[in-house]
Parts: sequence; structure tokens; C-alpha cells
Amino acid sequence: MESSDADLVTRVLHGDVNAYGALVTRYRDRYARYAVHMLGNREDAEEALQDAFTRAYRSLARCEEPERFGAWLFRILVNRCRTSGARRVRRGQTFVHDEGALMNASQEHPAEQTMWREEIERALGELSADQREAFLLKYVEDLGYDEMSEITGVGVSALKMRVMRACDRLRTLLREVHSA
Amino acid sequence: MPEWQRSTLELIVEELQRPIRIDESFDRRVMVHVRRTYARRRRRGVAGLMASASRITHHPVWAAAVAAGIVAVATLGIVRGRQHAPVAEVGHEPVQFVLVAPTAKSVAVVGDFNDWGLNDSALVATNHEGVWSVTAPVPTGVHRYAYVVNGKDWVADPSAPRSAADDFGMPSSVLVVEGSTK
Repeated sequence: MESSDADLVTRVLHGDVNAYGALVTRYRDRYARYAVHMLGNREDAEEALQDAFTRAYRSLARCEEPERFGAWLFRILVNRCRTSGARRVRRGQTFVHDEGALMNASQEHPAEQTMWREEIERALGELSADQREAFLLKYVEDLGYDEMSEITGVGVSALKMRVMRACDRLRTLLREVHSA
Repeated sequence: MPEWQRSTLELIVEELQRPIRIDESFDRRVMVHVRRTYARRRRRGVAGLMASASRITHHPVWAAAVAAGIVAVATLGIVRGRQHAPVAEVGHEPVQFVLVAPTAKSVAVVGDFNDWGLNDSALVATNHEGVWSVTAPVPTGVHRYAYVVNGKDWVADPSAPRSAADDFGMPSSVLVVEGSTK
């Protein structure tokens, strides 16, 4: 039977470092999706994800609800993506479209599907970081506004506004592609 | 909302919700960093004590011990106070035993160095916010030991090597006490 998050966290806190590997495997792919879409390229996404996992390990004792390790880790990842995005802006880089980030789509879907996905990624890159974050949390990660507020520290009303603007912007940007 | 808008949004979300797989080498890279952190903590004598390591250094008693120059036995994760620990007999070294057990009511140390506590010689640990510790002189050499939690639960030290031959059919750990180099 698969160990629960709480069991694994307890084992790690008692010195079983290998138990952390099970947590990494459990959440790696699940959270990679958010990081890739948020940062727009696989390299930065993996860096942010790795950073989130190592920070979580160092701070594991402060995980007050071990049974909710995943949610706690995700909050760390959201913050790491924010930091990474801000750093990229300071370096003068823009949202990067990366073929690597689309690797799975390329392997599993026909060409037009890949093109559609590329357009979506480009459109996401056109959003402000705040709007992109709110949109991904709401629609892709399927979180409620209260959870989003808890994770981001932003009020529910502001989040709703960001999501609405993100949706409008995406519709505008993708209208032609979709109707073509 | 017009139908075409709703379907566009649905298509976007459907596409973005497709899984993205990260190569398994990612796990290895993360675990390299994690093991480095773990090794650094072992050298500081706080392996398996992540929950309380920071609190230890803020506690006045622990802070004094740290300031006094506690040295860790890197291979075992046992902290040894060389200078300010209780005075040890010749051929003995002070060894600090530490166990994180936030819900325990009592913790004692038993080992071959105290006849497994069979004659009421178990080392009784003191609770520091869930971190139980006791320092005692232990003869140089290789020993087996274990923690007895709540007077009945026998547990090996999670941060030390397990003994291959467990006494009394119970788990135990291995402790190597080296002579002082002074």
C-alpha cells in the first residue's frame, strides 16, 4: 500500500532521507505542469520545481499539516515561480516559448493540435504574470478562490478580476486561431 | 457568454491540463541536494532533528552547549560535548543522545554500556519541546543501544546505523565511541 504524505513526512523528519524521494516522485509531474505554463520554458520550470523541493525539505519541520504536504509544497512552488519570473523580467527577458515544454504534446497529438497548443502558450505569455498565475490556478489547477487567496496572499475580489481579464485576453488572442 | 467563447475557454483549459512529464533524472538531481543538506545536518549533529534543530540553538541551555563547542560524530549523528559535558571517567567519553519524539511522555536510553537498563540504570532523557536528550559518559568502543519510549516502546536511533544483531529481538543501533584526542 502506498504511504500517505503524512507517513512519508514523519519518516523524513526522523532521518529517513529516502522517504523524501517518494514525495518528489509523487509531486514531480503534477506540479511541473504549473511551473512550465507559468514560466514558459522547461529549463526555468525545472529549476523552480527543484528549488521548491529542496526548500520544502529544509523547512519540512514547518509543515504544520503533513497530510497536506502537497498543498504546502505547491505554495512554495508558486512563490518560486513568482521569484523566477521577476528575475527574468529584471534580466530583460520575456516569456519564452520553448519546444521542450511542448514535447509531450508533440509526441502525442497531431500537428494541428501541437500548433494550437503553441498558440495557447504564446497567448499565455502575453498575459501579465499576475493574470497568468490567477488563470492557471483557477482553471488549470482547478482551485477555488479561497484556496487561491491563501496561496497567493491576494484578495478574492482581486483574483476574480485577474481571472476575468486573463480570460478576456486569451479569448481575444486566440479567437482567430480557434476560428481558423 | 456566447457559445464560441465558452468553448474556446474549454479548449484552452483542456489543452493546458494535459500532463507534462519530467524526466526521472530530475528526482536524482533533487535528491543530490537533499542528501547534501542531510549530510551537513549530520555533521552538525542534527540528523533526523529537522523539526527542532533551530529551536535547540535558541534554548538557553542548548545555546550554551553550542557556544561551548559541541562536536558531532559525523558517522552517527550523535552529538558529543568534549569540553563542557559531564566529566567522564578515564576511558569514557561524554555522548549526547538525542531523539525527536514530540508526543512521548518519557524517553530513556538503554544499551550494552548500562546493561540495557536491566538494573534501573536506564539513562532518562530530558524533554526540550519534543526533543529528548541526555548526556552520559560511555566507554570507548563499539556499543549497541536503543531508546525506550513511554517505558515500553523500544526504538532504534533513526539517525544511526542499525545493529545487525538486535538484542532481545528488539531494534537497536550502533554507536562507536572514540577516545579523546586531547
